[in-house]
Amino acid sequence: MHIPFTRRGLLSLTAGATLSGWLPRLAAHATEEKQVKSCILLWMAGGPSHLDTFDLKPDAPDRVRGEFKPIDTSVPGIQISEHFPKFARQMEHAALLRGMSTVESDHQLATYHVHTGYQKRAGGIAFPSLGALASRELGRRDFPLPNFVCIGEGPRHGTRSGFLGPEHQPLDVTSPDRGTDFLEPLASRAEFQRQLALLRRFDDAFQDAYRDQAAQAHRSALERSVKLMNAEQKRAFDLSLEPDAVRERYGSGSFGQGCLMARRLVESGVRFVEVMSGGGVGWDTHRDNFPRTRALSLEADAGMAALIDDLNERGRLDSTLVIWMGEFGRSPQTTSGGGRNHWSRAWSTVLAGGGIRGGQVIGKTDRDAAEVLERPISVVDFLATVCTILGIDYTRQNRAPGVERPIPIVDTSKMPQVVSELL
Amino acid sequence: MRRWLLISCCVAALLTWASAEVAQGDDADALADLIDRRIDAGLTAEGVKRVPAADDAEFVRRIYLDLHGVVPSAEQAARFLDDDSQRKRDRLIDELLASERFGEHFGDVWRKRLISPQANEQRMQTDRFSAWLADRFNANDGWDRIVTDLLTASGRIDDNPQVTYLIEGRFPLGVTDLTDLTSRYFLGVQLNCAQCHDHPFVAWKQEDYWGMAAFFAQIQMPGRPKKVYELGVKDDSQMTLARLNGGDEIDGFLSRPPTFLGGQEHEPLRGQTHRAALAQWITSRDNPYFARAAVNRMWWHFFGRGIVTPVDDMHSANEPSHPELLELLSQQFADSGFDLKLLCRAITSSRTYQQTSRPGDQADDEARLFARMSIKVLSAEQLYNSLVAILGPPAKTPSVNVRLGARYEFCQSFAGDGEGEPTRFDRGIPHLLRLMNSPQFAGRSITALASRVQSSGQSADDAVEELFLTILSRRPTAAEIEAAADELANGNSPQAVYRDLAWALLMTSEFSLNH
Repeated sequence: MHIPFTRRGLLSLTAGATLSGWLPRLAAHATEEKQVKSCILLWMAGGPSHLDTFDLKPDAPDRVRGEFKPIDTSVPGIQISEHFPKFARQMEHAALLRGMSTVESDHQLATYHVHTGYQKRAGGIAFPSLGALASRELGRRDFPLPNFVCIGEGPRHGTRSGFLGPEHQPLDVTSPDRGTDFLEPLASRAEFQRQLALLRRFDDAFQDAYRDQAAQAHRSALERSVKLMNAEQKRAFDLSLEPDAVRERYGSGSFGQGCLMARRLVESGVRFVEVMSGGGVGWDTHRDNFPRTRALSLEADAGMAALIDDLNERGRLDSTLVIWMGEFGRSPQTTSGGGRNHWSRAWSTVLAGGGIRGGQVIGKTDRDAAEVLERPISVVDFLATVCTILGIDYTRQNRAPGVERPIPIVDTSKMPQVVSELL
Repeated sequence: MRRWLLISCCVAALLTWASAEVAQGDDADALADLIDRRIDAGLTAEGVKRVPAADDAEFVRRIYLDLHGVVPSAEQAARFLDDDSQRKRDRLIDELLASERFGEHFGDVWRKRLISPQANEQRMQTDRFSAWLADRFNANDGWDRIVTDLLTASGRIDDNPQVTYLIEGRFPLGVTDLTDLTSRYFLGVQLNCAQCHDHPFVAWKQEDYWGMAAFFAQIQMPGRPKKVYELGVKDDSQMTLARLNGGDEIDGFLSRPPTFLGGQEHEPLRGQTHRAALAQWITSRDNPYFARAAVNRMWWHFFGRGIVTPVDDMHSANEPSHPELLELLSQQFADSGFDLKLLCRAITSSRTYQQTSRPGDQADDEARLFARMSIKVLSAEQLYNSLVAILGPPAKTPSVNVRLGARYEFCQSFAGDGEGEPTRFDRGIPHLLRLMNSPQFAGRSITALASRVQSSGQSADDAVEELFLTILSRRPTAAEIEAAADELANGNSPQAVYRDLAWALLMTSEFSLNH
């Protein structure tokens, strides 16, 4: 890893020194495997209004236009909402995809669909989410941390590992300030060692007598958990090791602090981190769209801008893809309660870093941002693109237990088309 | 279908023989005997030997978990182990079947299946629906009547908890969810692939799917889906599939008249709703799927794998491992008036159920042919019930949000995606970390258990034995007694040693599994 010789670079080196030589070792690791990428998915739960974030329509009628003004960005000709002022200065690293066009308009179904690439059916196959797929494709098996971590409060039905099984299940961190739950033993370390020795003694006898796969899987999950409890990399979960100034830059809320933790995790080798914005479904602004979208935008802006900035300064941006997205957009017409309803036919996502060609807008919607006019992007197009950026062959097929047909990472029967302008 | 017919013909002779031999349909012993003989026949044919019978400790823990969804208390386990009378296993089975906990456990199990995994979180707390199911199972109402009530219920959840299936089963996809769940759980077939295309491997065609879906089309769809909680379920005879498809386009939609699976078109009777006709067809004694689906599902519950596997994928190209057994059991089950307790009693009193799960020389073949018991993973509910039974109610834990109830939260966190294979361990680091290090159960509750064991004034050996009985429903082996003695000899306080022992036993694979 090349650390640019800036003031902040120095600061982080100093911080590294206090981590008993931890950072330099990480840096060594990073050079060895430069080509393997990581991904941070910033999840805007509830469906953010594309008209009030990244696809503003200043010339639309009053009921559609909304209250926010567009502002210029660091890339001439690209404008975004005034409530993303910090991110606006980083537009050269990012691409706006304004032609998202999907089919599900229910929160749970849409969340599941855009995370897994498959539509949910009652009692059907449990498909793995993007994070679990990345964990499987990019993760190291002997790595003590889970390769998929999910930070913040929010819906989890789009983040499960499905048929890929427990090894790729995300570790959930509900509060970034508190760090991972249950990582420390309740007893003293000495007593924990005694307990563990007893446990292994008892368990060995059962394993020998029953030679059972479920028993082995249980034991393996237990040993991996103990390995995590003992791993030095778990310090990535401890935000108190960061200088106050850095923590403040990310914003003091759960989302900002989650972005900071995501950066630490990616640096320590975790391949996929999902950070939740909006608690439950905060961006679901059926009422009071404007004040709520404003507040959430400012929080998202601080977190994602600090993240991109930090990754860039620390030489990590090209190997880390940052995605900003929710499950759909919102209706062009505002409601009588000043809200906007669900809208999946046309909406926006943002990609940054990961070695993509930044500073561009891809796709175009009509006057009211109601329909996509140019370059529509479906769920499978989007996921195939993300996989390609991350170096994952999206046509590779998985086998699900009890299912006869092979299941491609992205549903190839739907003819996914990679957004090649990004590459 | 043709293959099934062939099998049915082949077993016709067997059936005559069996019905002569099983003089009384409600004789569980005779049914258990029939199970053992059909399993033996399969074993002889393939040259695989049965493993020995389960010992009493394996049996007592297994039967409590399978029938009551919880481990036995130390007293219950000890009483059974120390009982040296004849037929004590049969007596225990009868006792457990007669207890209210039987219905509560099966109510729990069926609620999880019948409610769409996408149902609104608040509504997932359908305790009244579980209670309704529990009452029915405890009263031993026929499975045909229970299913009829589920499919024909009307009104609001508040007045009629049984209508929960129609309401939560169809969220958020309405008719298509109900079609999937009904065919999967009551008929044992997976139609969902046929929603959008003819099934590539089996006979189900897209028109089969939409023919079944059409039976649910009359259930009125309120303009806003959530209104159904206020308005309840009502039928509107004017509604058709075509009209439902009017708003949002449904994947793979085909306009079909209501048609029973297999091709028989429904001829409506005056005053009868489509779904009442469907219920009548499904639960009829002549229905080729209904009894078989129930028997295979129940077998799966007890053995961890179906006679047909996957359990809900019964079709002509997916042959049962024991076709005659499935046919005979289904026939007897239908003859008994779809008596679930009889079926449970027959299965659990068979030698086949009461085998050990320790493998012999041919571990995989033994499991496949039911020459030994398969080891099942405790479901989230069984795990929670057992932890509470052993350690008492959960302690408040800051990072665990119990807004919707501690049990609900625990089961959500520990359940896999959907209802997985019972023999597959699907939990990972988050679950193990929580079990080991969360104060919800592993903290003071374990200390309290250690104090209880110590303060009862018994010898160290007795205290250790009580811990083993409490947690693993068995007495310790000589090696385990020695391990405990080593700890005590190392100068640790008895209280600390008991605490370490209890923690270690709760974290063993043995505790997390039903062997």
